[in-house]
Amino acid sequence: MRIGMFFREALRSIRANAAISVAATVTALIAVFILGAFIPSFMYVRSAVDSQKAKVDVDVYIADTASVAQVNSLRDKLNGLRTDGTVAEVTYVSKEDALRIMRERLRDPSVLDELPSNPLPAKFNVRPTDAENADVIVAAVKDDPALDPTEGIVYPESTADRLLTAAKFVQWAGFALIGILLLAAVLLIGNTIRLSIFARRREVEVMRLVGATNWFIRWPFMIEGVICGLVGAVVAVGMLWGIKVGVVDAWAAGADSALTKTGSAAGTIAFPMLTLVLVGAGALLGAIGSGITLRRFLKV
Amino acid sequence: MSDGPDSGRPAFTLVEVPQAPEAPAQDDVAALFSAPVQDGTRRKGDIFRPGPGPMVEFRGVTKTYQGNSRGLDGVSLRIGTGEFVFLVGPSGSGKSTFVRLIIRELRPTEGSVIVGGRDLAELRRGKVPYLRRAIGCVFQDFRLLPDRTAAENVAYALQVTGHKKAEVRRRVPEILSLVGLDGKYDRLPRELSGGEQQRVSIARALVNHPRLLIADEPTGNLDPETSLGIMDLLLRINRTGTTVLVATHDRHTVDRMQMRVIALQEGRVVRDEESSGYHDRTGEVPA
Repeated sequence: MRIGMFFREALRSIRANAAISVAATVTALIAVFILGAFIPSFMYVRSAVDSQKAKVDVDVYIADTASVAQVNSLRDKLNGLRTDGTVAEVTYVSKEDALRIMRERLRDPSVLDELPSNPLPAKFNVRPTDAENADVIVAAVKDDPALDPTEGIVYPESTADRLLTAAKFVQWAGFALIGILLLAAVLLIGNTIRLSIFARRREVEVMRLVGATNWFIRWPFMIEGVICGLVGAVVAVGMLWGIKVGVVDAWAAGADSALTKTGSAAGTIAFPMLTLVLVGAGALLGAIGSGITLRRFLKV
Repeated sequence: MSDGPDSGRPAFTLVEVPQAPEAPAQDDVAALFSAPVQDGTRRKGDIFRPGPGPMVEFRGVTKTYQGNSRGLDGVSLRIGTGEFVFLVGPSGSGKSTFVRLIIRELRPTEGSVIVGGRDLAELRRGKVPYLRRAIGCVFQDFRLLPDRTAAENVAYALQVTGHKKAEVRRRVPEILSLVGLDGKYDRLPRELSGGEQQRVSIARALVNHPRLLIADEPTGNLDPETSLGIMDLLLRINRTGTTVLVATHDRHTVDRMQMRVIALQEGRVVRDEESSGYHDRTGEVPA
């Protein structure tokens, strides 16, 4: 009965202060919309960077002259790195495998038939758990006697470094931006609710006079904030949905084949999940916004 | 409230003329206040301490506002349970300060204010709403919620104290009828006359059966005839055992009623007499 009454009080207050309620709702809408546009973009960029990071492989080439014992010792070293977590996978690629792969890649494999012997060295293809670990792998095996003297260790050093910098930047910039957006939204909604409370300062005074507890006064305002936040969020999600279907999906369909070809596994947050997050954020924004504002009004 | 004016209305009305002092004990007001208020029993959520002590006690109370202006200056007095007291004095004499100290809208600079056996200085902030529920307040400017009907205004005071819907529906028409607002339950404050608005405000103050009713210039905005009706209502409420404190500078009312009069002047009590008028017996305006 209590909840029903608080709800009716909140609806009454929304109706009585229609202009202010609309302002709060629009504020929530804008905040949630920006958040909703930003979150998937951020996730996409991060996942793209991550998928590139996952492709930073270290190739450890083995000298043709290396003995079986030397190769086994190198393999043990690399496997040792796997047990301590720096390496995700170690694959042995024999000379024959290397040649076969080369053959598949060439448009005209017949040139290989001319070769007197297989010039390609065998290698261990090492996939680090994280691109950052490439340096550790290189340091661990760079003086190994089994290494091929000419090829040695090959890994895309500069690419890895640049990716790592980009990934870190994207991550921190993303968190900072989301934080700032949320703060701005809370303050804006709080400010709007403050207008609403200010418009009814006398009313709050009367409520206190007849012995309403602070929570009794607070609940309807909080519910009012949550309703404005929710409505704003739902409209924002609707707009985002329209943009997704109308613009992003069409663009992605065109770009999709190209993306799959380059092997990009970049994905982003699923729309239902995003909807849930945004609606939750809207409700929370409203509640926190009005809650903070009320604290100041209910003192005495 | 969705109640029509016909549902659950008691079959009595308020008579506008002042009643004779020997009015029957089974006054309609008394009938409504079924729970005796002087028997020392405590109601749920009641923060007053039961006991025979005074309803209100001021002990050397001084209230200094910012800029060193004095609201009250060393006031000590007692108002017994069940008394009817007029607080008189010109504007700025400290009447409003006195009232606001009792409902703890203000806290004294010095001294202590004790209401219903509770020293308000020791009352935690969270308990203040409960203090105010035990005190009914009526103001010159009515302080009604402008977007609510008469019935809703009264109902709000009941909802605040957590009464059930059925209870609200039963008591609101009763109390509105009691103050003489039959058939006007669904009017908004702006659709009512000043006197009617004040009746709504009194109904709201009464609906929780307060031990103490405080009226700050209740007739300040009303014509003499309407004032008479309001004062009569307050007197009848007092007969049920409710302590009534009326701050006013309406001398006709005070003179007519011949009740205890406390006169304030520049924050000090200059006169405190039983059965008196607005001026003291020498006919002199309180200095």
